[in-house]
Amino acid sequence: MNKLENDAAPVDPATSEPLAPREQPGYFPRFNTLAQKAFWDEATRKTVTSRVLEIPPIRFFSFEEAALMKAVCDRVLPQDDRDDAHKIPVVNFIDERLYSNRLDGYRYDDMPTDQDAHRLGLQAIDEIARYIFGDPFVSLRPSAQERVLKTLHDGKPPAGHAIWKRMPVHRFWLLLVQDVVGAYYAHPYAWDEIGFGGPAYPRGYMRLENGEPEPWEVSEKRYEWAAPPGSSSAEFTPVGGSSEHKGSPGQGGTH
Amino acid sequence: MKQPFFGMFKTPKDEHMLGAIEKIEFPMRRHDPNEQVDFCIVGVGSAGGVLIQRLARAGFSVVGLEAGPFWNTERDWVSDEAGSHQLYWNELRITGGADPLTLGANNSGRGVGGGSVHWAGFTPRLHPSDFRIHSEDGVGVDWPFPYEELKPYYELLEKEIPVSGPAYYPWGDPHGYPYGPHPMGGCGDILVKGCTKLGIGVSIGGPVAILAGSHGDRPHCIYRGFCIQGCKVGAKQSTLISHVPDALVHGAEIRDHCMASRIELGKNGRVTGVEYFDRDGRESFLRAKIVVVCGYAIETPRLLLNSSCPGFDRGLANSSGTLGHYLMAQAGNVVLGRFEELVRMYKAPPAQALTEEFYETDPKRGFARGFAVQTVGPLPISFARQMMVAKGAWGWGMRKVMMDYNHWGAIALLGEVLPWDANRVELAEEKDRNGIRVAKVTFSLFDNDKKLIEFGKNKVMEIMRAAGAIEIVQEARYAHLVGGARMGNNPDTSVVDKFGRTHDIPNLFVCDGSVLPTQGSANPGLTIQALAARTADYLIAHRGDSAGTLAHAMQNPSIRYDLSPPGTWGKGVPRIT
Repeated sequence: MNKLENDAAPVDPATSEPLAPREQPGYFPRFNTLAQKAFWDEATRKTVTSRVLEIPPIRFFSFEEAALMKAVCDRVLPQDDRDDAHKIPVVNFIDERLYSNRLDGYRYDDMPTDQDAHRLGLQAIDEIARYIFGDPFVSLRPSAQERVLKTLHDGKPPAGHAIWKRMPVHRFWLLLVQDVVGAYYAHPYAWDEIGFGGPAYPRGYMRLENGEPEPWEVSEKRYEWAAPPGSSSAEFTPVGGSSEHKGSPGQGGTH
Repeated sequence: MKQPFFGMFKTPKDEHMLGAIEKIEFPMRRHDPNEQVDFCIVGVGSAGGVLIQRLARAGFSVVGLEAGPFWNTERDWVSDEAGSHQLYWNELRITGGADPLTLGANNSGRGVGGGSVHWAGFTPRLHPSDFRIHSEDGVGVDWPFPYEELKPYYELLEKEIPVSGPAYYPWGDPHGYPYGPHPMGGCGDILVKGCTKLGIGVSIGGPVAILAGSHGDRPHCIYRGFCIQGCKVGAKQSTLISHVPDALVHGAEIRDHCMASRIELGKNGRVTGVEYFDRDGRESFLRAKIVVVCGYAIETPRLLLNSSCPGFDRGLANSSGTLGHYLMAQAGNVVLGRFEELVRMYKAPPAQALTEEFYETDPKRGFARGFAVQTVGPLPISFARQMMVAKGAWGWGMRKVMMDYNHWGAIALLGEVLPWDANRVELAEEKDRNGIRVAKVTFSLFDNDKKLIEFGKNKVMEIMRAAGAIEIVQEARYAHLVGGARMGNNPDTSVVDKFGRTHDIPNLFVCDGSVLPTQGSANPGLTIQALAARTADYLIAHRGDSAGTLAHAMQNPSIRYDLSPPGTWGKGVPRIT
């Protein structure tokens, strides 16, 4: 294992040894939502299986932008604990959203379009990388890339000021993170990882209480893991740094 | 691979399915394009769906224009969070103010059934006190009529929906529900446990617009938890499945994918019909004797503002200048708690249990009005976005907290934000694909709102703590939208009268959540449907001559119990009054 990979892999906290990439990280070993697809309705089966099998091509981002976006997404939501066959192509799904102009129904009055925001954000991220480390973002080690992104999370980017005049840092950061998690946790591999039961029509759920699994779900089996040494994304700190930022309502859409 | 006994489930071919069993089995009536119809309904959602059913059943020619699709639920809907994006109003809107609202996913629908397609389905009534908050607390405004005038419509809609809930519901005007309460899931158990520890009364298993037993061609709930992604089962009510089929039986026409762009005002001060873009982007005009706008809190003001004309330079029916103003959203802070044991909150409807113990004004708290506490059940994408804001999670931290998804539960505040003139819908410079100017929404919290949210949020966290959570975080957010074309007796300070007729134009009505002068701490869905049935009774009772000249009557129409969809009567526990 080379140094770069070492820098990126989560570790066993007992030994500090890097954990080998898995087919399926998480605490629900061999849980497989897709194995249930015969029990789903046809429309859902089509939607979910095509998400796995038909990966949308890159059409919105340029070749260079796509490479940078991939490096950014790999740190916004790292997948170094997944083997290559089970990595989720987050960038392709974001590209597809922006290419087909699939909006969330609103735009803040101090923000450019989602498409412009992502393009400008990538530029700014590269400017910050060059400002702090003197190198483009894509060539930085994972821990350095995280430090660049942490300045956005903290709302204190040291460069790209012309761009931040056109859009507030925290709004861009939340747009980026919400797009990345929106793509990742839409994927059945991610459902298997977190033990989410997935589609359940027309069969339904029967064991509603006490966290009990359905006959086709699996029990939890936890293991210890820690973020790679040097990672700055494992600590939970408020968006915008210590001073609570104003005017960013939740994005969850739960009720 | 394991398979069901009869093989993989297949979508029935060539059937227009509404839920698992119900279907539309006949061709819809099509009116001549040049025909002048009795009623044009703009927006076939929560209100429009009830209204069009009533008017068709009473024998009128009625056409509904709906911007979104006429759903075939088996073909179009999925048991999938990301795949349900199309249920929401995703067209561009601009949002701003000191506390800008997020729009789309959590608060506006598109397609027949509107927001009732993706509501969680809580159906509490407003309290009697909600109708007179200015008289009682000196805040907001009184409604132009008391609770008692809406009560028979609440009772009627609770049967038509029909609502499942406890046999005795103790808050506001105490009452019972026709269908029994639902079993609890993880979040319901958390709310019940926390409230019980603190001695707070809690309603279990409802009231919700979700069937606890089968009802005609609608099966009972299967507890799959995808309520806000559209209920493929047909257990959760939407006007799409409860009222629209009966409307079609009685000759109503619904033109889907038709976006109204402008209401035309004739020389005699009466509207003549509605301009709209059809699914191919062609402009058409529907002539109607009476136009009822049912576009909800943003699209209704937007359409009226876009219909400005000589004599109504600030927007149609806006002589008061209040059109678009007094927009409201409820405080909807979500409190998330992590538990040692597994919760698996994705099972069962998000709407399971609630308490209205803190609903009324309590002078000791230092602010007017109050709040409810309700269960929510975020699915993975929503939960991750909540963790992003509530916990500041990203990177490895996000992966880690998400691996604990099954250990988290969620309950939420539903708090009354007062109506403020500054919270409003206007037109932005940007235009949509049809060249119609889009809405710009401005929203800010004021002193009473902030105090209420602070107190309410802490109370919800206290309940979560009492339930045994070992870590608690919260996400500030908003739920529901109402106001923007409020009703009132004074034409100088409101847009419509107490039956929904615009003060300015005798044959132009508004019927949807935008007419609410205040919002209480009750989810607005039931109130919107009840108001629609009331406006329908008014329109039917005072229809006047064949030209559609409505008498300017202000007396209440008698309630029409004979216009309910089939299967409404003869069910349920005796009503407790």
